[in-house]
Amino acid sequence: MSMTEKLQGYVKDNLTLDDALPTKLPIYVNSVAYLFGVFNLCALVMIVLTGLIMAIFGPNWYHVNATGKFFHSLHFWSVQLLFAFLVLHLATKYFLGAFRDGRWKTWMIGVLTLGAAILSGFTGYLSASNWSSQWHAIEAKDAMNAMGVGGFFFTTNYSQVLTLHVAVFPALVVVLVVIHVLFIRHEGPVKPYPAKGEAQK
Amino acid sequence: MSRRSDEYLRGVPMKPYDLVREGVIALGILAAAVIVLAIIFKSPDAPTVRGEDVAKNHPLDYLKTATDFLSGESGLQAYGPPYTKDTDNLMKFLGLAPAVVLGVTEPIDAQKDLVLAPLEKVAVLNKDVAAALTVWKAASEDQQKAWTKAYSDALDKAEEANGQVKVAAGQYGPVPVMMLGMLDLGRAGLLEGALTSNERLPYTLDNTKAMLFFQEGPDSDFAQSVDMLGEQWGITHEVGNLPGPWWLWPYAIWYQFPVLKESSNADAIVGSLMVLFFLLLLFAPFIPVLKHLPKWIPLYRIIWRDWYEKQEGAASAAKKPRK
Repeated sequence: MSMTEKLQGYVKDNLTLDDALPTKLPIYVNSVAYLFGVFNLCALVMIVLTGLIMAIFGPNWYHVNATGKFFHSLHFWSVQLLFAFLVLHLATKYFLGAFRDGRWKTWMIGVLTLGAAILSGFTGYLSASNWSSQWHAIEAKDAMNAMGVGGFFFTTNYSQVLTLHVAVFPALVVVLVVIHVLFIRHEGPVKPYPAKGEAQK
Repeated sequence: MSRRSDEYLRGVPMKPYDLVREGVIALGILAAAVIVLAIIFKSPDAPTVRGEDVAKNHPLDYLKTATDFLSGESGLQAYGPPYTKDTDNLMKFLGLAPAVVLGVTEPIDAQKDLVLAPLEKVAVLNKDVAAALTVWKAASEDQQKAWTKAYSDALDKAEEANGQVKVAAGQYGPVPVMMLGMLDLGRAGLLEGALTSNERLPYTLDNTKAMLFFQEGPDSDFAQSVDMLGEQWGITHEVGNLPGPWWLWPYAIWYQFPVLKESSNADAIVGSLMVLFFLLLLFAPFIPVLKHLPKWIPLYRIIWRDWYEKQEGAASAAKKPRK
């Protein structure tokens, strides 16, 4: 069997089109809590789109140009909403025990995405080239240096934080999110805990 | 559906679902919310604190900072990795100092790099500074220390008025001329350029030296005025009323505890705690108490209330005795 055939077989076994683009859901998926993850994805779309436009015009644009400032504001509020929905998503998934029934990989990739998102947001503050960038760089360098990370990650080096923010961390976030979503679609939503009187499996 | 999904959801009633429609509607709602928030509240963009601002508005602070670096006894001179080889100020957690692993990767000699090197550039334009530098270099280390100590003490008693600093006469050698050269560099708006320029590269965006220059005094003072010091919840705040990166709250909270606030190892301890908490979160599905906590705290019954009403309603109906 060729490698391509093996991959084809793996995908057929684990992720069909019905899973990727479902047209039906279990009836227990019936709460606004299930929308937090969806809003996370939407906020990420807004962040990437506004970020791409700001990357095209460069870091000075959003300080001196009214349109640039507006896009900076769109980016800023998209990030604020992303983290708001991330916290809600994480909390609800934890309290639903969404990592049960073999879904630990989905959970762990989700937590890694949270870490990548925090790093992305952090380097975003560092690369905004304003007072917040200046003070974040000064304050955070001591923490980075204390942890030994400061030996290769310099919060005060604008070229490094900017490239990390516009390329490395967003790519990491997007890759992790894609894997996270594929796992979710592959595994389906976790079943509720047993009802009262129902036997625990 | 995939074999796995089919097996897992066997026997579970299903309902129709339109993923694309849900996604489009959610994106529309979120985009509208973002646009409205951006129009109404805009975004924070407070300007940086520049050497020029400090030189013009707080010349005494500027001179004190530059003199401190010139003395060779500034905190930065003995900071440790990644700037210097010193190990006295290393932050440790459980006896370990991670900073020593990579060691000095961004060497900075505060006296040379932050004062004498910029003054060499000023000296090209200013003969008085050039002459003062010549005297400085010819003097012994003890003499240099005596001059900077005397000048530093005098600055502590100096007065600032209308952007000028009045320092009492004393035995300061070439130090006042050198420091006024540094002040003029700042007033001209050239301090950051002089600190950032690199002999080997035509241009650089590494602002480390410029960022380190005013970190202790003027930057710290401004941060305090806008509630951004570590003990004021630091970088989770933003200038003004707009939200900052509030998601760093679990990190910033540790600096509010007196035991950590006053610890010389605070950054290493807090950093290690955050790594630990991240690992706990990451491995929650395998950690005995953490993996069962959601079952013990029945918040899930609120989210799945419709399901439980149906399940338990059907179960109680089935249990009713037949007449």
